[in-house]
Amino acid sequence: MTATIKAPPNRRRTHGDPKAPPKARSRGDLKVAMIFLAPATLGFVVFYIWPTLRGAYLSFTEYSLLASPNFNGLANYERMVQDSFFWNALVVTVEYVVINIGVQTVLAVGIAMLMYRLTQSITVRAVVLLPYLVANVVVALVWYWMLDFQVGIVNQFLTWVGIDPVAFFGESAYAIPTIAGINVWRHMGYTALLVFAGLQTIPKYVYEAAEVDGSTEWKTFWRITLPLLRPVLVMVLVVTMIGSFQIFDTVAVTTQGGPINASRVIYYYIYERAFTRFDFGYASAMALVLFAILALVSLLQLRLLRAKESDLA
Amino acid sequence: MTISRRSLLKAGLAGLAASTVAGCNNGAASRGDGEVIYWLWDSAQLPMYTECANLFHEQNPQYSVKIEQYGWNDYWSKLVTGFISDTAPDVFTGHSSKYPLFADKGLVLPIDDYVAKDNVDLSIYQKGLADRWIGADGKRYGLPKDWDTEVYFYNSALTDAAGISAEQLNSMTWNPQDGGTFEKIVQRLTVDSKGRRGDQPGFDKDNVKVYGLGYADAGGGDGQTSWSWYAATNGWKYSEGEPWGTKFFYGDPKFTETIGWWRSLITKGYMPTYAQAKSGVDVTTSFGAGKYGMTPNGSWMLGTYAGLKQVKTKLARLPIGPIGKRMSMMNGLADTIWAGTTRREASWAWVKFLGSQTAQDIVAKAGVVFPAVAASMPAAKAAFAKSGWDVTPFLEPVEAGDVFPYPANPNAADVTAVMTPAMDAVMSFEAEPSSLIKANNDVNKILSASD
Amino acid sequence: MRKPLNVGRIAAWASLIVLMLVTLFPFYWMLRTALSDNTQLPGHPSSLLPVDTTLGAFKRVLGLSTVAEAQAQGGSGASVDFWLYLRNSLIVATVTTVCQVFFSAMAAYAFARLRWRGRDQVFALFLSALMVPPIFTLLPNFVLIKNLGLLNSFAGIILPTAFMTPFAIFFLRQFFLGISRELEEAAMIDGAGHRRIFFGLIIPMSAAPIATLGILTYINSWNDYMWPLLVGQQENVRVLTVALGVFRSQTPQGGPDWAGLMAGTLVAALPMIILFLAFAKRITNSIGFSGIK
Repeated sequence: MTATIKAPPNRRRTHGDPKAPPKARSRGDLKVAMIFLAPATLGFVVFYIWPTLRGAYLSFTEYSLLASPNFNGLANYERMVQDSFFWNALVVTVEYVVINIGVQTVLAVGIAMLMYRLTQSITVRAVVLLPYLVANVVVALVWYWMLDFQVGIVNQFLTWVGIDPVAFFGESAYAIPTIAGINVWRHMGYTALLVFAGLQTIPKYVYEAAEVDGSTEWKTFWRITLPLLRPVLVMVLVVTMIGSFQIFDTVAVTTQGGPINASRVIYYYIYERAFTRFDFGYASAMALVLFAILALVSLLQLRLLRAKESDLA
Repeated sequence: MTISRRSLLKAGLAGLAASTVAGCNNGAASRGDGEVIYWLWDSAQLPMYTECANLFHEQNPQYSVKIEQYGWNDYWSKLVTGFISDTAPDVFTGHSSKYPLFADKGLVLPIDDYVAKDNVDLSIYQKGLADRWIGADGKRYGLPKDWDTEVYFYNSALTDAAGISAEQLNSMTWNPQDGGTFEKIVQRLTVDSKGRRGDQPGFDKDNVKVYGLGYADAGGGDGQTSWSWYAATNGWKYSEGEPWGTKFFYGDPKFTETIGWWRSLITKGYMPTYAQAKSGVDVTTSFGAGKYGMTPNGSWMLGTYAGLKQVKTKLARLPIGPIGKRMSMMNGLADTIWAGTTRREASWAWVKFLGSQTAQDIVAKAGVVFPAVAASMPAAKAAFAKSGWDVTPFLEPVEAGDVFPYPANPNAADVTAVMTPAMDAVMSFEAEPSSLIKANNDVNKILSASD
Repeated sequence: MRKPLNVGRIAAWASLIVLMLVTLFPFYWMLRTALSDNTQLPGHPSSLLPVDTTLGAFKRVLGLSTVAEAQAQGGSGASVDFWLYLRNSLIVATVTTVCQVFFSAMAAYAFARLRWRGRDQVFALFLSALMVPPIFTLLPNFVLIKNLGLLNSFAGIILPTAFMTPFAIFFLRQFFLGISRELEEAAMIDGAGHRRIFFGLIIPMSAAPIATLGILTYINSWNDYMWPLLVGQQENVRVLTVALGVFRSQTPQGGPDWAGLMAGTLVAALPMIILFLAFAKRITNSIGFSGIK
């Protein structure tokens, strides 16, 4: 099957391989690169690197935000190990990420395929992106309003069709899936658009060849689309997963960590420690651990998804 | 194509450069020495404070006030950012749950010297109110501007239908064993899906249409609008040496039996489950939809209840408890001065003005909150009467002196962080009231560690 | 090219329609709420039509009603100067988008199309900025902007996101990687320098992803709340999201002005819907273009 969809010879290596052997002008690019990188580097160093280094330093201090920090070594990290709220927050966050990313990615690829293969309608594209136009705090409020136990329209619907109303935010078991669902609603179109942009980079002839071969839509998707989509899909997964780990607004607007601790996600807990309990040093330590976890997960993702290299070659 | 893009980019860069220049001008724009920046969070009070500011400027032409308003959550985030970056407002509205920490960290200005210098008469305020703003260190951090207590807001159509009179509602008794006449009334107000009342045979507690009593949450560490008055009339205190206690009593049997009784209303079907109560926008919305017979709440919510046009809301006194009287928490707001202000005199003049009867009369006649100055109270009462409220039930405990303070503490946020999940767990029947003993130990451990 | 209808296509259409409905219903509900009288809302939870239909909420958002009128309808006591905030939002979002996309494209070019020692390591470092928790950056950036004297200025609101975001660089790099090297080499043989390759080849060939990124950046910038709230509170630079904050809860236990909040949300989303519709055509047009690869 793969043999038939091979690109014409002159199109081999269409994907610029970062590890390709250097050609004639290999070394001279550094100077040019520096010019092209200059503005971004300025922003990067000033608004990302410097604050992060400062945050890393603060994670080794006792710092109330309202008085100057005192170095206290590894004390914050020792506390973290024994802090059951911290471990609970990690578990809750992972639960959220799994539900959120799982559902969202499947739906997004589905929508992107529908937009690509079924209809080119711009209206459909606009509609799909609509939820993303609304700020996430407002999205959370709208759903909070719609999912209200007593007066929410969703529970009115459920009552009409004979189902008992559901305490979406009040029941420990539902809180995280509900919050994850809200964010799927907001982000699925956005993610689909990213995937869609990736689909557009797949050369048409590949599909034409597949059609000539009599490949079914389903087979084409698994054997052609998905493998060719991989670079974009990797990016989408890495980006959405990092964003997902940092879930905060929806929780802050709706459950505020409750019921009990069922939705106290890590970033909400960090925020609470930093800005309502003024335990910024400890919050920084947790933020640094979160940073490390994210870096690890992303690295793993990039590795795993690159493992079976089989693009257009 | 390329050219148009390039020119677009150039235009964009030029725009950025221009706005940077413009920005410098704006940023450098300094304000006059006499201009005070004042923050508050309640937008409903913005019009009357604007009026106060105008009058203040008229009386003191050398000073002027710039008012900025932010919603509750933004308010505190911005305030903390302001403290850190030296951009806090000169004067801001303080809250009992927040100011103790600010005072502890030296971020708000003690005003004792000013009070002494200007001979401010502290006896014009409602009894006990001015002293709420004396911190743990014995220094005074603000002049009170308003106060609040709690009552029951009830749906009079539902009480009429249940045949419960206003007299009955205003003479309720309560005890932690059988709930007294209060529980009887709540029981009678509860109606199941088949129209049977809580005190009628066949009442189906699993299919309730109207709950006798609604509640917003489990109350956390203060229970201000949920359980504070039950516990207080059961002879319980938050802590040793209120209000600046360092040893809390959440494990006390008087408290745990109160909570045990309170949550039994859920088991009996008179109160929604915790999951249902928390899965709602807020308690007033459900009340406004006619789902609750009555809901306890604070006086600052009068405006919100007045806005619920589908129900006719009236007020009922809190019940008399085992100690033989009614008790309500009395809390309030004050205007405080940022310690880092460069306009101390102007700030103090504004605070003093807001604490005067002149300003409080303006606040009073708007009918939004109760003014701290006792002599301004008749004006407020009249304003509330005009919008249909007889606010006497709020006033009585204050006049009788049967009030207790908000559990102020520099570590209030830490106490809340322990008590909120602990109370949630009890109210959702995932833990027994006796688990509060452990929570109380955790609270006391935090407090003793931070000394 | 029209394909015959079969079970698969019917199922595909059905799922698309269901997805559209799920996406659109909350918007209908927002419209219904926005057209309702705020004080009547709780009493009519199941009414599918607006309750006591009124344009009051839209008037409050556009600043057309007096404070007293607004408060009588359950709104706030703050005044709203809608057109000024709209102008400010347009300035902020436009400048942010143009700068960020352009500078990120330059960086992405260096990471995707140039060869230099340490490139992948530097890229990984840039990428790691994606994971920096915002609580690290918020306060130091605020203090920096304050020290630069840029509080309450457009520059202060724009600067932190003007030069790059890790996402923008990552996104564009992935697309630049996919551009054929032959074209680039052909251009070089013609004597084109990097500047010409970048402007004349890479950017036009990536029109679709750049437009996509531009739209996403615009939306994010438009919806940003916390940062402009901190640095741009003064009337002359206050953006729409910050101004519409008065429709959220003002007091610890008070509910928001639901009708006003929904009306504000719809009005604030409108310019972006228009923008998107304008650009969506562009994206479709560029499909044929990228086909030449």
